[in-house]
Amino acid sequence: MVRWPNVQTIFIQEARDQLRDRRTLFMVFVLPILLYPLLGIGMARLSEAFQDQTRRVVIVGCEHLAAASAANPEAPPLLDETGSRFNPSLFDNPDDAARLDVLCDDDPSWHDPTHRRERLRGGDADAVVLIPSDLADTLRQQRRVAIPIAYDSADEKSQLTYFRITRLLEAWNLAIVEQRRVAEGRPEGSTDPVRPDAQDVATRTEAGSSVWARIFPFLLVLMSLTGAFYPAVDLCAGEKERGTMETLLISPASRAEIVLGKFFVVFCASIATALLNLASMGATAFALAAQFNQAPMRLRPSATGAAALLAAPSPVSLGWMIALLIPLAAFFSALCLALAIVARSMKEGQYYMTPLYLICLPLACLPLVPGIQLDPFTSLLPVTGVSLLLRALMQGDYASASQYFPLVFTPLVLCGLLAIRWAIDQFKSESVLFREAEHFDLVGWLRHLWRDKPQTPPAGMAVLCYALMLVAYWFLAPFFPVSGWSLVLMQVLVILGPPVALALLLTRDPIRTLRLRATRPADLALAGLLALTLFPMVNELRVWVDALFPMPEAVRQALERFKDLIPDPATAFLLLALTPALCEEVAFRGYILTSLERSYRPAWAIGLSALLFGFMHVLLSLFQQLFNATLLGLVLGLIAIRTRSLFPCIVFHLVNNGLAVGVGALTSAPWAGRLFRDPAQALFHGPITLLTTALAAVLVMRLAGQPLRGRSVSAVSSPNPERIRTS
Amino acid sequence: MIQVEQLSKSFLDYRRGWLPAVDAVSFTCVPGEIFGLLGPNGAGKTTTLRMLSTVLKPTSGRARVAGFDVVRRPEQVRQSIGFMSAGTGIYERRTAWELVEFFGRLYGLPPDRLRARMEAVFDWLQMNEFRDVMGARLSTGMKQKVSIARTIIHDPPVLIFDEPTSGLDVLVARSLRQRILELRDQGKTIIFSSHDMSEVAKLCTRVAIIHKGRLRALGRPAELLERYGQPDLEELFFFLVRADGDLSVDRPWPRAD
Repeated sequence: MVRWPNVQTIFIQEARDQLRDRRTLFMVFVLPILLYPLLGIGMARLSEAFQDQTRRVVIVGCEHLAAASAANPEAPPLLDETGSRFNPSLFDNPDDAARLDVLCDDDPSWHDPTHRRERLRGGDADAVVLIPSDLADTLRQQRRVAIPIAYDSADEKSQLTYFRITRLLEAWNLAIVEQRRVAEGRPEGSTDPVRPDAQDVATRTEAGSSVWARIFPFLLVLMSLTGAFYPAVDLCAGEKERGTMETLLISPASRAEIVLGKFFVVFCASIATALLNLASMGATAFALAAQFNQAPMRLRPSATGAAALLAAPSPVSLGWMIALLIPLAAFFSALCLALAIVARSMKEGQYYMTPLYLICLPLACLPLVPGIQLDPFTSLLPVTGVSLLLRALMQGDYASASQYFPLVFTPLVLCGLLAIRWAIDQFKSESVLFREAEHFDLVGWLRHLWRDKPQTPPAGMAVLCYALMLVAYWFLAPFFPVSGWSLVLMQVLVILGPPVALALLLTRDPIRTLRLRATRPADLALAGLLALTLFPMVNELRVWVDALFPMPEAVRQALERFKDLIPDPATAFLLLALTPALCEEVAFRGYILTSLERSYRPAWAIGLSALLFGFMHVLLSLFQQLFNATLLGLVLGLIAIRTRSLFPCIVFHLVNNGLAVGVGALTSAPWAGRLFRDPAQALFHGPITLLTTALAAVLVMRLAGQPLRGRSVSAVSSPNPERIRTS
Repeated sequence: MIQVEQLSKSFLDYRRGWLPAVDAVSFTCVPGEIFGLLGPNGAGKTTTLRMLSTVLKPTSGRARVAGFDVVRRPEQVRQSIGFMSAGTGIYERRTAWELVEFFGRLYGLPPDRLRARMEAVFDWLQMNEFRDVMGARLSTGMKQKVSIARTIIHDPPVLIFDEPTSGLDVLVARSLRQRILELRDQGKTIIFSSHDMSEVAKLCTRVAIIHKGRLRALGRPAELLERYGQPDLEELFFFLVRADGDLSVDRPWPRAD
């Protein structure tokens, strides 16, 4: 039970402490205000450097230009005599003409939009000017003519070239108007004869990738992490170093209250840092855009282009960003707190933050990589999802932003909660709070692992086991062809190997660790029945997930090919039902759940193991399996804890997977119509699904409501009396 | 009132396995007495007191502080004790007043009562001239006063002082002892740990001598000296340690010749 007045008291005091700390003030308030103007100056210089380089312009239809000049001898030509440069007299500074190479090319590929786009992307040209064939006639008749300029706004070089050409065409336009005025005595301000017609080859999503859109999400993520990092280290490691941690621990405030009080301080610092960065970045962007607009060759239409290149985010996307920032900052704050508490000093705290940055930076950088888009998988990655969503928001791509918002938001909130929980656990750990300096030697430590083996593994071992499984998969997968026995062997090595090895080597009771206890036949029957009754609902869920997150065509084809590889139903059963049922149960409901149970209450242990189970399916197999696997993981965890045995779980898993494999035989039976409303998808008739789901719900509730049959493991890890050496 | 029964605490050391820091220690202290915990550095005094303040969980055994079990009711235990040790520093970025007020709030004192109590405590400890000075700028003696103020702000029935005088100069240590005696006269239950035998002899009603995590002797200082036929607490301590088979403490220095 958290007493909020205590949390508030701690929050207010700690926040005041932070405001009295010069380092924190600098990181949170001063750095962002200084950083962006400096970056902005750098960027302005950089774009000037861009301008200095020579760009290549392809002109399609040079002969029409020549014809136009012949028809209007008074008008200045667009190109110079050589035809490889623009007319220097059209530039403010005639030398600028040398910075645009002109190539007259009538290759048919330039006329085709698709090819044009490919060649622009391929670097054959930085921009393409398409001269209309009727240019001479239009000019003669003094009608307006639009000259298409094809460019790629996703590429700064191309965009800058486009700006230069538009300025040039404007100058040409003015020259023609002036010449007509002189020749015909027309008043100024008559119709513009020539105007540029922008033809951006970039798609809408690509087009938005202005400088800010690309850097911005990355910086925002980084800044909310940095904003959380300093206060967290100061509030945990710093308190230990200054000797006030124990003072706080002996106050009546509970550990959860202390952590929450500190958490809100870190959270506020993180949010403040990120928002100040946002504001400073926005101000810099406006200032930069204004500078562009005041450039010497000021031109009306192209100025908006320059502004777009450095545009600040719109108010709508700002609102969305702040909504996203809150869970992100919460996640980082909790993570930093949990790490910082392990450290004994500020200096040590900084060491621990390095791996955090090393993990977060690539995740935050992913959106800079072309081709990485928001999809169900990337949106679930805690940092990458946010970064990608921010990018989509900057690009004004609200359609995909709103589609993926829940997918990014939910796991982020979940991760944040888990991180807070972890931080509280860290604060409850004596070995973390009162860690002494130690001299580490590997042999001694290994000996200790062997000698002081616990009965069942601690929660940290669940994480190690999971990591081992993933690493084993990564290194072994290339050596196993996708077929029959090698797949069985692969599952045994990757899924079964690590937990069994860890249980045998590092626990004193492998049987209990892997939950290999005898069970009552009634429990086995119950588990089988539960799998049977859940099956129709699981199938419905699968179809919903497929509709929400359609499988890419390539994956679907690969799956079909895989199905063709399996010769007969017996092999299918062995590969897809028996082996997974054995291996996955030993790993997840055996080793991992037992370790989690030691540190967490059963509900948390079941939830965590189910999430790990779900994500294993995403990482090793298909994203679409996440939801079903997590759901089944919850039911399986409940069975494991309530029956205290692995065997009912194996039966459940076997029946569930067996049905999935064998349902084809049912759907092709002549009487299939009586059972299935959609035999192809194995969807049962509505009433059947409802009835079985209700029955499953009753079974689950009965199972959940049952009293625990004895505690399977003691919550407090106590050393074995006989192992204590008395001196 | 503090009741300690067979209290033990072991730590896992990866080189030596489970090491007992406190081994089946039992004692009781009653209101109005100062109970001395005497032992060399590393004897297990701090671990025992940390268990009493619920910061560490006992491996086995039981302890009740002010009627609350330290394992089952840790928050009530912390509410009923004032704890001061070398490990409980003061906040550098808070003034003396802010720090005491902060803990007063955590102890759940209503604002008016807290205010009155703080004025009384600041007067008693003569802390008024530095009430608005930041912790970082306080002298050692001032810091010690702030710590005492923090320890007694909620007027707890039980006070635990873990080596409070270590590192203090004679004057400050003496004035601290004087305050502790005054608190005893108010009827508090007080535990006072020290490795300084003479200090314990001056201050404590009863003493427990701890060595290597075990209780070696328990009683009034005069009784103990008489029982073991020793002239003072220091000799008594060496006598007990030798009887325990630990000869290293009394080994003569190797001579150069």
